[in-house]
Amino acid sequence: MNQFVNGIPISYILGLAGILFSIGVLGVLIRRNIVIIFMSVELILNSVNLVFVTFSKALSHISGETIVFFVMAIAAAEAAVGLALVIAIFRHKKSTNVDELQSMRW
Amino acid sequence: MDEIIYMNLESSPSFLLFIFFGTVTVITALSVVFQKNPVVSAVSLVFTFFALAGIYGIMGALFIATMQVLVYAGAIMVLIVFVLMLLSQRAETLSRYRKHPIRLVLLSIFAFGFFFLLYSALTTGVPHSDQMGKGYALTEYSYPIQGTGTVNAKGNVATVGASTYLDYILPFEMISILLLVAVLGAVILAKKRLTEVEQTKDTVL
Repeated sequence: MNQFVNGIPISYILGLAGILFSIGVLGVLIRRNIVIIFMSVELILNSVNLVFVTFSKALSHISGETIVFFVMAIAAAEAAVGLALVIAIFRHKKSTNVDELQSMRW
Repeated sequence: MDEIIYMNLESSPSFLLFIFFGTVTVITALSVVFQKNPVVSAVSLVFTFFALAGIYGIMGALFIATMQVLVYAGAIMVLIVFVLMLLSQRAETLSRYRKHPIRLVLLSIFAFGFFFLLYSALTTGVPHSDQMGKGYALTEYSYPIQGTGTVNAKGNVATVGASTYLDYILPFEMISILLLVAVLGAVILAKKRLTEVEQTKDTVL
């Protein structure tokens, strides 16, 4: 496995992806606004994409970049359904605070 | 061995660009999490996506960098900002930066410098891509396909396209069905029921 991608050590890129993943998990855990939780999930998906591209380049195999394309499609579908759910919940609860969502019954 | 590596790191422009974009990614990601105003978080998330596109460009994955800008910074961010505006969360703090002209000028300089560096990252990613399958290459890359031998492709987009349509054709078609189901589900979830329209005429949503 090639230890460098265009002069960048892959350990640095993987470290950046790990930091990004941790920040996303932190956002999911500490924020109460449901839209910001969605943004943190997008951060997590982006860190996964970074790992895929890094290993695709380090191994000189193109499959990782193809899978990144699929991850982007899944993220688009997730954003569409999730934000529709946010709108539906806001219409009934008049709030986007996840602490107030204690029952699934409207 | 270590000395050679560090000398290469000092002189490599792509490494310096990686440091810059990595710093911007971490700072804006922290800003997404810790900002009080959700709209400021959304703008920070746009910068995170652009910085990640710059990193992909440095690494030579130009197709992924383009899709990052188109899908994430374009489509998904429009969706998120649209929902934020629809829910109208703390809209009174939106124009706070307009009262501080120095802050506005600094932010503008930051934005222009950022996009100039993004451009230079995308262009320096190209000459460094002399290895097979890394970015645009003048030579054809013979791409191995499962079972049927090899296919010749030139450049990053052609290589990713060959991989998508030859190795991953079944997941690709399933993605289209999944997107159709997601769109239908979003419409069903977000539309009002007809009986509720009569009951809640005075509400905004």
